[in-house]
Amino acid sequence: MNAAARLALIGLFAVGALQGQEPRTRLAGRVPPAALSALDSIVLLADHEGIPTEPLIQKALEGGAKGAPPATIVAAVGESASQLRSALALLRQGGESQPSSAAEVTAVAAALARGVSPDQVGNLSAVLPGEPTGPALHAVADLVGHGFTEDSSVDLIVEAARQGLRGLRLLDVAAAAVLELQRGQNRAIAFARVRDMLPNVPPPPRPAPATVSKARRLTPPTQRP
Amino acid sequence: MKPIDPLVNRVLDGELPPEVLTPAQRAELARLDRVATLLAEVPPASVANRVMAEVRRPLPGVVERLVRWFGERHTVTISVRPAWSLAVAAVLAALAIIPGRAPAPVLGSQEGIAQFVGRFPGAKSVEVVGSFTDWRPGAVVLRDDDHDGVWRAAVVLPVGQHEYMFVVDGEQWVTDPLAGRFVDDGFGRQNSLLIVRPVSR
Repeated sequence: MNAAARLALIGLFAVGALQGQEPRTRLAGRVPPAALSALDSIVLLADHEGIPTEPLIQKALEGGAKGAPPATIVAAVGESASQLRSALALLRQGGESQPSSAAEVTAVAAALARGVSPDQVGNLSAVLPGEPTGPALHAVADLVGHGFTEDSSVDLIVEAARQGLRGLRLLDVAAAAVLELQRGQNRAIAFARVRDMLPNVPPPPRPAPATVSKARRLTPPTQRP
Repeated sequence: MKPIDPLVNRVLDGELPPEVLTPAQRAELARLDRVATLLAEVPPASVANRVMAEVRRPLPGVVERLVRWFGERHTVTISVRPAWSLAVAAVLAALAIIPGRAPAPVLGSQEGIAQFVGRFPGAKSVEVVGSFTDWRPGAVVLRDDDHDGVWRAAVVLPVGQHEYMFVVDGEQWVTDPLAGRFVDDGFGRQNSLLIVRPVSR
């Protein structure tokens, strides 16, 4: 083995060691020490599979902050890894030509966690090829959360997408339906009214200037003590 | 000023001969003669010219006079009333102590505003802890300035989804009932799910 090959190998080992160390460094002192090894394994395996690891680290930090026992934290992080794995698989099945972004995988996993079925994820991916499906899925989940059936919710969002609404504007479709519900309409009439509005559903109100001026910018987590 | 002796005055006027004077009066007469001689002398021409040149020189301009005024030494007298002085000092101290309103944050295209509002009557502290704080407490503290039990905060967050919970009095984890979106947290509770939209639409 020549010197260049040796150097490359050493570099690979160093990168691997650093990658393995990074989650442990962030979790040390924030989760019970008894959970560290198991969490390390889950995160490293997820990274190997191409699953976003940041949500897993966040789930572990959340468990530590909430004072959960080590076994519960490991189980919750393992469950999150499963959801992310399913989301990634669904996106790949949907024929995504580009590798799915971490944000997209996380959004699909969140929608699955909110009760959207894998079949409907596939349906929405088919309607929005090559586009982020996260907002569409959250719109469906918002509707389902307010008692609309999953099929009719997906139909409404698909109709909105066909009429040109994309991204976060799809959330406004769900918001308009919920507003009709709050005005006392039944679900069928609420959906019918929103269909009539499409694609001109009202956007959400912009934050007031006073609110914007009062808003504080957070210190990035990496700079916090 | 010492008056001139009347006898000496009459001699000066030529009414009497100098011989009538006593030695002291003659000495005074001699002094007065010397003074008269001095006064009769014309000053040298160079001195007169200098004085007249100074008198005839035109006044300097306003700027030059101002510069000269600032460069010279002046005695300035300020009279103050202690009550007013104390009032001014108090105002200046208040301006220095009271923090001014921070300038409004400049938002990027991938940033939005998240407003958190919760009703927690009797709470001593309320904060928001979530994925945007790395689940670390202390970053987003809500305020109840009018003590009506409604706690508020507004923060700049990256566009996208964020999970969070309220932490009341430093120990009680509470789901935000107004969030509208919830996910099981895996620890027996529900996180609120927030989707931040860009302000610059």
